[in-house]
Amino acid sequence: MGIIGEFSELYLFPNGLFITIQLAITSLLGSLVLGTVIALFRIAPLVPLRWLGGGYVEFFRNTPLLVQLFFLYFATPYIGIYLGEPDTFGFRAAALGLTLYHAAYVAEIVRGGLLAVDKGQIEAARSLGLTYLGMLREVQLPQTFRAVIPPLGNIGIALVKNTSLAATIGVADLLFAGDIVESRTFRAEEAYAAVAILYLSLTIPLGILVNYLEKRMLVAR
Amino acid sequence: MIEFRDVHKHYGSLHVLNGIDLQVAEREVVVVIGPSGSGKSTLIRTINRLEPIESGTLVVNGTPVHDRKVDVNKLRRDVGMVFQSFNLFPHLTALQNVMLAPTKVKGIPRGTAREKGIALLTKVGIPEKADVHPVRLSGGQQQRVAIARALAMDPKVMLFDEPTSALDAEMIREVLDVMRDLAREGMTMIVVTHEVGFAREASNRVVFMDGGRIIEDSPTAQFFERPREERARQFLSRVIHH
Repeated sequence: MGIIGEFSELYLFPNGLFITIQLAITSLLGSLVLGTVIALFRIAPLVPLRWLGGGYVEFFRNTPLLVQLFFLYFATPYIGIYLGEPDTFGFRAAALGLTLYHAAYVAEIVRGGLLAVDKGQIEAARSLGLTYLGMLREVQLPQTFRAVIPPLGNIGIALVKNTSLAATIGVADLLFAGDIVESRTFRAEEAYAAVAILYLSLTIPLGILVNYLEKRMLVAR
Repeated sequence: MIEFRDVHKHYGSLHVLNGIDLQVAEREVVVVIGPSGSGKSTLIRTINRLEPIESGTLVVNGTPVHDRKVDVNKLRRDVGMVFQSFNLFPHLTALQNVMLAPTKVKGIPRGTAREKGIALLTKVGIPEKADVHPVRLSGGQQQRVAIARALAMDPKVMLFDEPTSALDAEMIREVLDVMRDLAREGMTMIVVTHEVGFAREASNRVVFMDGGRIIEDSPTAQFFERPREERARQFLSRVIHH
């Protein structure tokens, strides 16, 4: 009969999948926005902003994600940082940790893309009277995002997989669902195979989406 | 309208602008020529502050360009610039390139900006390319869109920094035709170029630069018939006979 026979446990998977999707989308959007801001800091005309951006990237890229999550989950209550009530606390800590960590990688990719935009583009925009921020918004950032879609896609896929670390701080995500099913049925091979397949059902479509976006942007360029 | 007074600038040990004094009046067309590395491009790029200067004064439309208190973005609205490498925005269509500054800088409604953009693309002879991205345009077409883009801000002065140097012979002509029309309409223009034919036909004055200095500044006819300076004479014999 196998796992399909244990009907009473199966509802755990869609619930876990839903939490994983929520966590991934929240953290992905968060890290894109935060990473872009950090990247802009890193190339800013003001030196202190550049230091701040550089320090951020070095810190979050060079410490393990799991340690960051443990810190946010276990240590924040002791240092007076309030992340939510017990029922939402784990999810928020996980979303924040995933955002902070992946923003460092996004920042490095976006910074590279910003620097790769031809200097003539910037001069042309500024000579039309656009302000520095206007130039960023209308000219430099749009060209940057078109160029960095493939590496950003890689970060997105890594992020989806890294959401599984949230299970270690009590978030009832996909891996957590697998753990419960395994502990109730003692069918580890089927439980974790199902979990792996469900992760694939997220990452493979994401990869296809990234390829599609890349092709569309190439036409426009 | 534009006045340089004893302007200096260095790149490291190179004295790229060495005591520039120059005046350009409204509706005047001035061509700047000279050997490469003579400071022509740097000179023209100081006018809209793409290059800072170290000393001297430069006044454009009554504004001291390099004064720290001056809002450079406001100044640049009145100074159109056309580059050697076109620098069209590749992610925008030809028409969107032309509409960008009027809508984002001046806040002109999209409909009005669109009409004006199409009128400008018609003026430079390529209204049918309005919805095409720059990659699908020839060099000459790209440069004409770039001219339309600069004109869209209704500038009081147009700066051309070697506008035809990256083009094939046949495309040079189509760009120069557009520039000649502009000159005829009374646009104030400063043009860095090696196109002697354009200088003869369309300019009022020729400024010859070498080694960061203005060596000669004469009315066009006089400059080509009897240049005063030996170095200008040598340069002319090279560019005309090659």
